[in-house]
Amino acid sequence: MAAWQRSSASNGTPAPVLSVRNLEVRYFTRAGTVQAVRDVSFDLHAGESIALIGESGCGKTTLGLALLRLLPKGARIVDGEIRYRRRNGQVIDVLQLDQEEIRRFRWQECAMVFQGALNALNPVLRVWDQMLDTARAHAALSRDEVRERSERLLRMVQLEPERVLNAYPHELSGGMRQRVMIAMSLLLDPQIIIYDEPTTALDILTQRAIIEVLRSLRDQLDFSMLFISHDLPLAAELADRVATMYAGKIIEVGDVREIFYNPRHPYTLGLIKAVPPIVGELYDISSIPGTPPNLIEPPSGCSFHPRCPYARERCAREVPPLYEVGSLHTSACHYWQEVKLERQVVETGD
Amino acid sequence: MRQSAPVARAPAIPQLAARRLLGAVFRSYALRRVLKAALTIYLVATLTFFIVRLMPGNPVDVYIHTLISQYGFTYDDAANQAAALFAFNPNEPLLVQYWAYLRALARGDFGMSLVSPGTPVTSVIMTYLPWTLFSAGLGLLISFLLGIMLGMVMAYRREGVLDHLLTAVGSFFQSVPNYLVAIVIVVFFGVQLGWLPITEMRGAYSPGMQPGLNLAFISDALYHAALPILTYVLTTIGAWMLLMKSSTLSTLEEDYVTVARARGLRDGRIMRSYVGRNAVLPLFTQMAISAGFVVGGSVVIEKIFVYQGIGFILLDAINRRDYPVMQGIFLIITFAVVAANLLADLLYSRLDPRIRVSGGE
Repeated sequence: MAAWQRSSASNGTPAPVLSVRNLEVRYFTRAGTVQAVRDVSFDLHAGESIALIGESGCGKTTLGLALLRLLPKGARIVDGEIRYRRRNGQVIDVLQLDQEEIRRFRWQECAMVFQGALNALNPVLRVWDQMLDTARAHAALSRDEVRERSERLLRMVQLEPERVLNAYPHELSGGMRQRVMIAMSLLLDPQIIIYDEPTTALDILTQRAIIEVLRSLRDQLDFSMLFISHDLPLAAELADRVATMYAGKIIEVGDVREIFYNPRHPYTLGLIKAVPPIVGELYDISSIPGTPPNLIEPPSGCSFHPRCPYARERCAREVPPLYEVGSLHTSACHYWQEVKLERQVVETGD
Repeated sequence: MRQSAPVARAPAIPQLAARRLLGAVFRSYALRRVLKAALTIYLVATLTFFIVRLMPGNPVDVYIHTLISQYGFTYDDAANQAAALFAFNPNEPLLVQYWAYLRALARGDFGMSLVSPGTPVTSVIMTYLPWTLFSAGLGLLISFLLGIMLGMVMAYRREGVLDHLLTAVGSFFQSVPNYLVAIVIVVFFGVQLGWLPITEMRGAYSPGMQPGLNLAFISDALYHAALPILTYVLTTIGAWMLLMKSSTLSTLEEDYVTVARARGLRDGRIMRSYVGRNAVLPLFTQMAISAGFVVGGSVVIEKIFVYQGIGFILLDAINRRDYPVMQGIFLIITFAVVAANLLADLLYSRLDPRIRVSGGE
């Protein structure tokens, strides 16, 4: 196994659980090579929750799949490193694992809950069989142990274990199926769980309930979370840090409050302004003009410049690096100093 | 209008019970299926009865006239003879005949053979049907199992050499009629090249063999059935392969397969219980239809290989105008198609839990 020991950080801060460096993912299609993930680097620390935000097609789901090496046919990780630190401190390179090692890595070390909850479970097997399948693929647990663990987790996601375990997927509602998947994601006690738009395709009340479940799970259990979403406010409820993705790149990373109140990238600003707040001050609601870029030939310089109100001639020429714009806050915008969220207090009559 | 409503809303107690029973019957998937199947068989039997009797120049009249003109029978004698052979009395009113016919059918009595007097149609069927079921059934089973396995391999290795090769071979054999394959086997491999002892392989088993459940007899029966089976497999396996391939390909796209991979399940487990089991479901309907035609769909093949099954004897009966045998065989074919569909429906509901919850869902 191409794993290597690393003297973990001696400077006080513990080494991250997951460390992604310069990740590049390409889809090789007939129309051309799609640069779905470009030069992505980030660290996920133990117990931390990062929200990955961006429009559809910006590469966030591809990034999630790449972390588990679950990319569809035609997609390949062409460069980069994914370093994962096991509970015993051993650091492995996920990209170097062989087939059997990556199979064991999945779900046991890093689980993933997908969007489209309706079809995530095998329609011809009972929930219990699928729980058992999952456990048996990794650990030599007895039936009783799996049963006991499943029941406990199902109760944690507010489901009746007896009823749900004996049910076939079609007998459960969409929200219940997603809870089953969330419970299943915790079955093997992984260090990292990726939630890829877990509330899409669910109604607003069910969405709320799922978010509450995730929040309470985070309080009770010890795992790191990568929350992929296009819904910034929703993500903000669960995240410690927010990373904004655009055209396959991470363009802004920062503490959730920083990003929300002090975004320093015009795109993040646009995302915030596109959603009306339910409480608090009202600012100009506006959508981001234009459409997401073609990732076969991304725009030169800063990929966002064709849609950016702050863009100048330099933006089309020079790729912006991630500037240090605050404490633990970075933004890939040449003119980040000019980007500010103007909040207007709406007069309410009296 | 409004006043009458309360009256309608207070049904008598027995009526309510009857309705409840009917409701239970309707809710039970299996029971509904069985009732449907029984109704279909009844309708076909009725249709057969009336078509044979109401057609101008129906076989009974033709037979009576033959007896009168060729053998000098009186009309009454001829009618009696016909009544004995066709198991009905032509002088009775139609409804009485119909009732007698249904009762005879319920007892499994299809009348007597015209050509070999004294032989009940039932015994003709019982003699020849098992060989057809054996050869065509085995052919279907081998073709289906082999086809779904190859289809899955093709889907897993799509765009590979094996996929292209099997697709070409499968499409070729699928488009060649089975009697052509049979003729090619007989003419080329049997006669021209002399690789196969065609004459020796005729019949359902070698003369002098004692039928019984022993290895010698079974291997002899297999030897004689080998060429029909080979023909059935060659001409149907292509369809199974291609169907299974496309079904597997679409199943591989399903979210639950990706999720199963994310869950770190072993490939074998995913292939069997997640991909295979779901991909094969739509093929069962097709399998049911084919299974029904096992009984009747082998007429020409059995003729070409001189294999004494039900198809062989049906052709024989048609040539000799043995109407009761034809009628009996047609009824048996109907019965087989309906029974196979019923079996497949029930099996399908065992395999797909989504069907199990009654029709409503």
